Amino acid sequence: MSGSPLLLLDIAFRHLSGRRRQTIVAVSGVAIGVGFFLAVSALMIGSQRDFVTTLIDAAPHIIISDELRSPPPQPGIRAFPEGAVKLRGYKVRNEVRGLKDWLEILRAANNMPGVIGSPSLTGGVTLRVGGREEPLAIVGIEPEIETKISNIEDKLRTGELRDLERTQGGLIIGEELAERLGIGKGDIVGATSASGGTRSLRIVALFKRGQTQIGASTGYLLLREAQSMLGRPFIINRIGLRLTDPYQAEQIAAKLEKRFSYKAESWQERSSDFLSLLLTRNVIMYSVVSAILLVASFGIYTVVSNSVADKRRDIAIMRSMGFSLLDLQLIFVCEGLALALVGIGFGWLLGFGLMNILGSVEFSVGGESEYLPLDRGSTQYLIAGAASLFAGIIAAWLPARKAAQVDPVDILRGAA
Amino acid sequence: MTALMEARGLTRILPGEPPVTLVQDAGLTVEKGSFTAIVGPSGCGKSSLLYLLGLIDRPSAGTLLIDGKDVTPLDGDQRAQLRLEQIGFVFQFHFLLPEFTALQNVLLPMRKLGRLSKAAARDRALQLLDGVGLREKADKTPDKMSGGERQRVAIARALADDPAIVLGDEPTGNLDSKNSERVIQIFRMLARDQGRAVLCVTHDMDVAAAADVRISMLDGRIIGVERQNGAG
Repeated sequence: MSGSPLLLLDIAFRHLSGRRRQTIVAVSGVAIGVGFFLAVSALMIGSQRDFVTTLIDAAPHIIISDELRSPPPQPGIRAFPEGAVKLRGYKVRNEVRGLKDWLEILRAANNMPGVIGSPSLTGGVTLRVGGREEPLAIVGIEPEIETKISNIEDKLRTGELRDLERTQGGLIIGEELAERLGIGKGDIVGATSASGGTRSLRIVALFKRGQTQIGASTGYLLLREAQSMLGRPFIINRIGLRLTDPYQAEQIAAKLEKRFSYKAESWQERSSDFLSLLLTRNVIMYSVVSAILLVASFGIYTVVSNSVADKRRDIAIMRSMGFSLLDLQLIFVCEGLALALVGIGFGWLLGFGLMNILGSVEFSVGGESEYLPLDRGSTQYLIAGAASLFAGIIAAWLPARKAAQVDPVDILRGAA
Repeated sequence: MTALMEARGLTRILPGEPPVTLVQDAGLTVEKGSFTAIVGPSGCGKSSLLYLLGLIDRPSAGTLLIDGKDVTPLDGDQRAQLRLEQIGFVFQFHFLLPEFTALQNVLLPMRKLGRLSKAAARDRALQLLDGVGLREKADKTPDKMSGGERQRVAIARALADDPAIVLGDEPTGNLDSKNSERVIQIFRMLARDQGRAVLCVTHDMDVAAAADVRISMLDGRIIGVERQNGAG
């Protein structure tokens, strides 16, 4: 029966105030654990968010391409699905590459809330300038729509995307490639496609160097120019989608793929190797930080354990007075709980301070000054608090059980 | 007089190899308003008997009735509650909680029981301290008090929840004759004036002489019960 929680708390606090030094050590242990948990996780989560944002915006959130995850069934198999004889050597039907019904797909995508789609055609050409040849992956786009779904506009060094519309045969390539070919903005370059057609293109803009996501040898031109150059009029083989909420990409991609059976690749799928790397990073962080919190709770164990050992006589007399076993255990659990709570409070302050220090650290990347990306969300405070509280209660409960094992007869007899 | 506590065939054997018999087949009755002393040589089992009667220890065999109710089958929590409500203990050592003042020590059982308001409990505690002549020491912690004073605070604490039974385990064992005399007087008053059942295990011949009933023990058995001082 514990009809008197205040009394138990009172006894617990008096025990703690009798061992001030150990109490301070235990509280600081928890505080430092919680504080560094907060600082480290703010940094890890902040940098992860930063990194993921870059990943998400590197390309359209979903890319629908004219690939199929599994090859389509051939006419023979389609005609006789349960056939007992396997036919070989019959003429295989050659499908025309490209997204069939792409207008339908685009309409379906645009009808979804928060989704914008942009059609494009990709292919390969060879650029020729004065005897030099460079392969170029070309992307035919509608500049007006493309600017809505990607941030390539920001990556241009000179010129703008709309220049493609203003110039006959306009082409945008990267700075590195232009350097290799020895050409610049306004120069004319010859391009030959696989189907043999050759035409002259004029450089209207250049990408900044170091844009790994665009690729050093990718060029942008108008969709209809690409279609005629590749000899594939009215064909689209790629639709890029931008979502208001990028984290819905997987579901939306799955929905579109199920409906149209073309491969719809979300950014998560595209960067799954990075994402699994982040997962590993998080596992490492949380194990290290949990270990800190666990070690911090050892201080609580020590205090409560010593308290139980020192108070055996008090335990015996309280038992004779009519305190139940649960009452006595609660007294000692309360001691641990109080240490944990005070420690968490100070830890939150410490974490807040550390974050402010980290947040004020300035460093320069490529001439631009930047600050460490920090996540200052309240979730981390809650997680740190809950984990410490849990560890603290366990650390207090283990020695508190010993209080119930004290046999008052032994103590009273031994003292008499 | 009515029997407040009745023991029948109480036996306590410590398991082990060989088992040790602490109390063998003890039977006794304790009446309201009586002062009983249990005497005997060291190790005769008188303290063990007291712990059995005080519900701190469990008998290996036999029954114990308090107010006519068999308390042997009760579980730990029920026994704790019964100790809280019915029994007050005074030990050879005072066993006051060192972090609490005299007043707070006396208040402990009342706060635990939780029947009195804060103010009423405080009044009662001061009254109890007054009863043992220590009202002016109410705010002192045990380390600022003499042995006799501490023992009297312990008696006040034992009386906090107005127990029907007061059990003493060598309550004068650590006191000089003057303080012993005081404690004996208080115990007589508890029995005669307040109608409580007082039971003391003692070596002290003065305590034994002041009791109404003297129970002698030897080797775990009760070997004699005498009424004295014109009791019964």
